[in-house]
Amino acid sequence: MSGPERPDPAPLDPVEVAGATLASLPDMTHRRLRALVERGGGPVGALAGLERGLAAAVLCDRATVDELPARQSLARAWQAAARGDRVARTLVARSTRVYVAGRPGYPLDEELPERPEVLLAEGDNPAALDRPRVAVVGTRAATPNGLDDARELGATLARAGVTVVSGLAIGIDGAVHEGALDAGGAVIGVVATGLDVVYPRRHRILFERVRASGLIMSELAYGTQPRQYAFPVRNRIIAGLAQVTVVVEATLKGGARLTADHALAYGRTVMAYPGSRRNPASAGTNQLIYDGATVVLDPNDVLLELGFSGPGPRADQRTLPLGDQAAVLEACHGEPATLDQLASRARLTPSRVVAAVRALERDGWMERSRGLCWPQ
Amino acid sequence: MLAAVRSATLIGVDGQPVTVEVHVSSGLPAYQVVGLPDAAVRESRERVRAAVLSSSLPWPQNRITVNLAPGGVRKTGSGLELAVALGVLGANDALPAGVLDGVAVLGELGLDGSVRPVPGTLALVDALARAGASAVIVPMANASEAELVGDVRVRAARTLGELRACLKGEEPWPDWDPPAVPPDDAAAGMLDDEMVDLADVRGLPFARQALEVAAAGGHHLLFCGPPGTGKTMLARRLGTVLPPLSHPEALEVTRIHSASGIPLGGHLVRRRPFRAPHHTASTAALVGGGSGRARPGEITLAHRGILFLDELGEFAPTALDALRQPLEERAVRISRQGVSLTFPAAFQLVACSNPCPCGSAGNECRCSDAQRERYRRRLSAPLLDRFDLRVRVDAPESHDEPGESSSEVAARVFVAYERQRARYADWPWSQNAHVAAGAVPRLLPLGADADEMWRDLIADRQLTGRGATRIRRVARTLADLDDSAGITADHLENASGMRGDVP
Repeated sequence: MSGPERPDPAPLDPVEVAGATLASLPDMTHRRLRALVERGGGPVGALAGLERGLAAAVLCDRATVDELPARQSLARAWQAAARGDRVARTLVARSTRVYVAGRPGYPLDEELPERPEVLLAEGDNPAALDRPRVAVVGTRAATPNGLDDARELGATLARAGVTVVSGLAIGIDGAVHEGALDAGGAVIGVVATGLDVVYPRRHRILFERVRASGLIMSELAYGTQPRQYAFPVRNRIIAGLAQVTVVVEATLKGGARLTADHALAYGRTVMAYPGSRRNPASAGTNQLIYDGATVVLDPNDVLLELGFSGPGPRADQRTLPLGDQAAVLEACHGEPATLDQLASRARLTPSRVVAAVRALERDGWMERSRGLCWPQ
Repeated sequence: MLAAVRSATLIGVDGQPVTVEVHVSSGLPAYQVVGLPDAAVRESRERVRAAVLSSSLPWPQNRITVNLAPGGVRKTGSGLELAVALGVLGANDALPAGVLDGVAVLGELGLDGSVRPVPGTLALVDALARAGASAVIVPMANASEAELVGDVRVRAARTLGELRACLKGEEPWPDWDPPAVPPDDAAAGMLDDEMVDLADVRGLPFARQALEVAAAGGHHLLFCGPPGTGKTMLARRLGTVLPPLSHPEALEVTRIHSASGIPLGGHLVRRRPFRAPHHTASTAALVGGGSGRARPGEITLAHRGILFLDELGEFAPTALDALRQPLEERAVRISRQGVSLTFPAAFQLVACSNPCPCGSAGNECRCSDAQRERYRRRLSAPLLDRFDLRVRVDAPESHDEPGESSSEVAARVFVAYERQRARYADWPWSQNAHVAAGAVPRLLPLGADADEMWRDLIADRQLTGRGATRIRRVARTLADLDDSAGITADHLENASGMRGDVP
């Protein structure tokens, strides 16, 4: 992340520096950046063209008369900002990687209509981009079951060598990153702030873990603070980076739905976890399934969709429970239950229930968490 | 013109002998109290004067100096007034010389000369007896309480005038009514004037077992579950199955309650206290202290009994964290105005809590991760770790039958308790929950078949040393309830089932 870790930094590529400088101009948007690069014939040409009126041309294109004065002053600000070497120095100091559209290593499909011209990345494992990539997204207001599903999916993908792409938000995003990292996998976090801004603050440890095992990416300048409108714009990069987008839990009007819409627009596969219609955190995924998304009944379904053979989706290797164990598992009725409820429903003494639950835990039929027994 | 009378004042929950010296000398009529009196002691002057005059006794028209010794101890309350009055009479030669030798005096005075009861009589008399007093004169209403101390002669006083006559031998000492019959075993289930019994609770075999284990072994107990499932109902019935207090314990508890001004009716506290402070209680109300005179908190009033905290998550986090040190040391030290007081606080903590803000069961919970996290953070991990028993309670099934009655459970608890007392006769504790961690491997050996299970448990559940020790103590209590000499695999398994990862 900092200079001293790399004893002999590679000399800066002028195209990358130009791209990063353009992306770091004040009030830059991906549409403006694209227009600049196209009209300038590439990042270097665009940077040089700023002084020759390109800034004003791009900014004032289709601007109303009222907007013109502000646009012209912004154009002057661009010209001033482009003259210094502040961005180049930051790139060196932070060992930032710069991915520019049209150059080798650019991780997105060149054909995507809203592709970012420039992507900045920090992290110790750029090879994460070389593996199959799956985006896993979901609501911030996730239920405990949704978080468990996300962690499980992250771990399953990581063990299969798939890179997990998500947004580092609280809820599903954070859980899938954690699941993948705990399983030793590679992850990519696409953020809607500058790479030097940690948001949400609660995830600062997670940010460090992602840097160590993968990449944190952004199309925004260093120092960009979180803005509400930036998150949906960021979601198109998540969708664009991945072959498959999986939505674990989503409300009807959430950012996760937008990510899925982008993935559909890019012709990618969208998969979703089903849930109860009474669970607002499942309303968005159920709607996606209704609209044609592929159902995920098991995390391995995602691997199958990627073309992995692997274990069958629901090949159960567990030994079938017998006797007390069968009675106790049956007594769950498929829902989490307390030991009291199991003892009462199975009509067993407390000590026999405890013994049965422990045996079921060992064989993978049951998990105990938050004081409840969860059938698996 | 000098007289000295022995009396006592309260410091915290203990008595402190005080010598009241009264000096009457020539000079302009004046009345001075010296020796760190508090406001209540200083204003006794008007009461003492009025009481003496109302009793048709002479009040010296001279300079009166009252000294309370030792001078370094702050004297509180009105219990010294009777001693001051007798001192004034003595210094004024209105009492025969020597009648107060070896006699201590306690009591508050009314303006008409009547002697009124004082709080903490038991603690005060106890301290005086230890200091060598052979007899105490106490208010009539406190006489039977004072008699509980045992090795001191108790005299009752109704009025100042009558007391003087008794001291002069002109009248016989008055007798006092024996205290109302102490509550018998039949009324042992009374709680807040409501009859409760474990038979009222349907189903919940694990929760009931945890309650029984808590009662027998003195383990701290946490019930966690949705609202309305019977957590509080169960916990409030714990008092009906607890083992009885031994006589020294009963004296100790009675002394604390007496010093805290809880009405006792003149007999020993025989049932273990059950204190249930509301969740708005301040730190000082829970652990003791407060402005001015340091007062015992709920944890001291729950000494040798139960401190029940319903809705644990609603208590102020600072108040809960203040419980951690007394939970370990079984006493709380409070420093105040130059003195440092130690209040006993060997209480058993029983608490109820909801798993999350919505409190609903398992799959129906719709709380967001952040909400749950915020809620969980109200209970610090070190506090949760101190509960040996953490049991999730959900609503009973519709077909569940009422369980055993309190008396059946209490009988088993008593047997298990006696087993523990016999085992720990040479140790400074009497229940499994308090066995020092270092002594656990030696005192709580595993049965032949339990070794393997013990290793499995530690590996499967990734237990820390402390967690494993807590499970072993609970397993020992289960074995005691089974009347089993060794801890079996079943006991270990059950014990681990009762220490869940709630909430």
